[in-house]
Amino acid sequence: MTETLHNLYLGFSVALAPSVLLYAFVGCVVGTLVGVLPGIGPLAGISLLLPASFGLDATSAMVLLAGIYYGAMYGGSTTSILMRIPGEAASVMTCIDGYEMTRRGRAGPALAIAAIGSYIAGTASIVGLMLLAPPLASFALRFGPPEYFALLMLGLLVLAYMSGGSMLKSLAMAALGLLLGMIGIDPMTGFFRFSYGLVELGDGIGVVPVAVGLFGLSEILLTAGQPTAAEVKKPRLNELLPSRQEWRDSIWPIGRGTVLGFFIGIIPGSAHIISSFVSYALEKRLSKHPERFGHGAIEGVAGPESANNSATSGAFVPMLALGVPSGPIPAVMIAAMMVHGISPGPLLISQQPELFWGFIASMYVGNLVLLILNLPLVGIFVNVLRIPYPLLYPAILVFCVLGVYAVNGSAVDIGIMTATGALGYLLRKFDFETAPVVLGLILAPMMEMSFRQSLAMSSGSYAIFVNRPIALVMLTVGLALLLLSVVPFLVKRVDWRQRLGLEAGQEKETL
Amino acid sequence: MGSYRRNILLPALLISFFGVTVQSSAQEKYPDRPITIVAPFPPGGVADLTARPVAAALEKVMKNPVVVVNKTGAAGAVGMSFVANSKPDGYNLLLALSSISIIPEADKLFDRKPAYTMDQLIPIALVSADPTIFVVNASRPWKNLKEFVDDAKKRPGEISYSSSGVYGTLHMAMELLSHSAGINLKHVPYSGAGPALTALLGGHVDTLASGPAVVIPQIKAGKIRPLAGWGAKRVAALPDVATFKELGYDIEFYIWAGMFAPRGTPPAVMKSIRESVKQAVNTTEFKAAMEKLQTPIAYLDAPEFQKFWDKDAKMLAAAIKRVGKLEIPEAK
Repeated sequence: MTETLHNLYLGFSVALAPSVLLYAFVGCVVGTLVGVLPGIGPLAGISLLLPASFGLDATSAMVLLAGIYYGAMYGGSTTSILMRIPGEAASVMTCIDGYEMTRRGRAGPALAIAAIGSYIAGTASIVGLMLLAPPLASFALRFGPPEYFALLMLGLLVLAYMSGGSMLKSLAMAALGLLLGMIGIDPMTGFFRFSYGLVELGDGIGVVPVAVGLFGLSEILLTAGQPTAAEVKKPRLNELLPSRQEWRDSIWPIGRGTVLGFFIGIIPGSAHIISSFVSYALEKRLSKHPERFGHGAIEGVAGPESANNSATSGAFVPMLALGVPSGPIPAVMIAAMMVHGISPGPLLISQQPELFWGFIASMYVGNLVLLILNLPLVGIFVNVLRIPYPLLYPAILVFCVLGVYAVNGSAVDIGIMTATGALGYLLRKFDFETAPVVLGLILAPMMEMSFRQSLAMSSGSYAIFVNRPIALVMLTVGLALLLLSVVPFLVKRVDWRQRLGLEAGQEKETL
Repeated sequence: MGSYRRNILLPALLISFFGVTVQSSAQEKYPDRPITIVAPFPPGGVADLTARPVAAALEKVMKNPVVVVNKTGAAGAVGMSFVANSKPDGYNLLLALSSISIIPEADKLFDRKPAYTMDQLIPIALVSADPTIFVVNASRPWKNLKEFVDDAKKRPGEISYSSSGVYGTLHMAMELLSHSAGINLKHVPYSGAGPALTALLGGHVDTLASGPAVVIPQIKAGKIRPLAGWGAKRVAALPDVATFKELGYDIEFYIWAGMFAPRGTPPAVMKSIRESVKQAVNTTEFKAAMEKLQTPIAYLDAPEFQKFWDKDAKMLAAAIKRVGKLEIPEAK
């Protein structure tokens, strides 16, 4: 323990040096910006700034890039809450309840709880990163393709609980997402699937254009289609902070989101996105009033926003402790280290203590900077809602197009955004939830890859999924969840869905 | 109506005006405006990390801005076909890796309309060439290549390797080894070299072919063991690791990075680019940058690079034909 404190002292002496502090600040500001702008997310932000970091020393470069990553998680919630447009893919879940809160004049508290939850999650998860990195990283290595597949399967099964409406409709939407995820190069044979001669479709359909289209464009279209503009209660300035009840509702979701996000973050994949979905489903499952979800429940903002922040710290665990990437963003950061002549590997922490501890300490500082930066911004951002729709919506549309194009510089992405925008409009007219489509699209390529990798490992034998203990446990849990959710259908027991009359075609029963 | 027309005409006029000025001066002197180097892979990849110092050094030599643009997609095919089909004026150059020879062959295999053909591009210079290293998880029993090959012969199709993806460079390296040693290994493709290394470290696969820079720290930490290298010479940082050639296997494989221009680029412009690249790779800044990346500079001017490329492409084409269309194992 004294050694940790001593190391942390070393870290803070690095992190509080004026130049490092400056880059942490710049990273946090840029991160907030790429988070706020629709489409462009942390990966695009880090990629754009990577060349600029080559001129810095290694520690400053890492601090700058990390700042963009976790800064984006703070900024991403802003447009989700105010306009139902995900600032980046990890904020898709925040759109649902965050925007409903805005419509009820609670935009201020939603933004504030997102920032505060992010701060608590960010700071607490760094403690985890600092104390547990080496043992956790070795555990993460035990996640091979079969374990990963089992985990994703489990993730898909929690979907059943995710939507506010009909379970059947939400499963149909998830299936649509999974189907869309099949587009692109077959990872096991190199065959182009459903690309129709477009080379750009070889990499599949991107999450960003679909998320912006399904959520943002469809919302703009729906608003435009109404005879009178949708009523958004203008927030009063004295209502910017959460009420006592909202605090009480948020504190546990923040705590659970933090722990959940950190552990999901360690496992390879687009962890910050998945963690927000899982956190939302979990909060809804645990809530005494699940019917409030989808209608402005603050838990639906607090949980996912905390989870995606602590997932960023989790994602640094394999990178710092083993030198291997857990996703595309840590992969870019590993490249940044290599440019500076530092070889990321299992010996990094012992050989580069200034870098490791400086990095850790800078994250404590950065999260504090972000909280100080974001809380006053709440007051400014809510004023966006005072802009009349005829001016606001065209401007948003321009930002959506710019942001989506900027990610890959691909016009095909704009086409995808437009098409999914129209699709989202139709789906919402028919009361389908669009979030499961996005989750399906994210999960499909990962699930396919890990499933087929597993079978390649076992030369085609399915026994590999039950012979490996971690995979077996997760699949059993998933199966149990599935059975539990099927029981009400079979024995017509009353569950909360029926109690609320949410299941179409089933009669309301009084309790 | 009148104002509508004016709205269309004004930009059109502006474009034609500037278009004309740019064209007329382009004939006088090259370069007179920013040059773009397209890296067909995302930032942080080998192509990107090589392109950046090349661009920085070129900028000083040419006294003209040189910008790196990442045009990614379809395993590099998007960026490579972009340059192959761009105007041959010397302002759109390509920094590609060995996979430039693989994609057209894979297109042929699947009877696809090729994204580009190799004769749409002409070589400028080879910049770097990094021999791949054959590594195994440290918990596996093989202490040397002979033990490994003997065991692989006893258990065909049971020993596995990870790769950066099907028909990717790391897959090809292992195909050369399998063919040369007469062994049959199990291939588990991943999406990139990073995840492939993670799988080896986690023991989910037994072996891997990898660029040296990323595996050296893992070798030093005792997590993985090198058995041989694909280079003509041993890797400087791993002096004890013999080459396949020394061990009696006639195979050589490099992950190389080279610069290309669209075919049809005027000879005078090509000459200017080649001379500038030659000077750029000899600057101390460039050498220092590559030293940090632990990637050896292997400069070859256009004629020698063309020979190197032809030989490499022929070898890869043969390897792809041997692999053929991949079959999915039957479920049991």
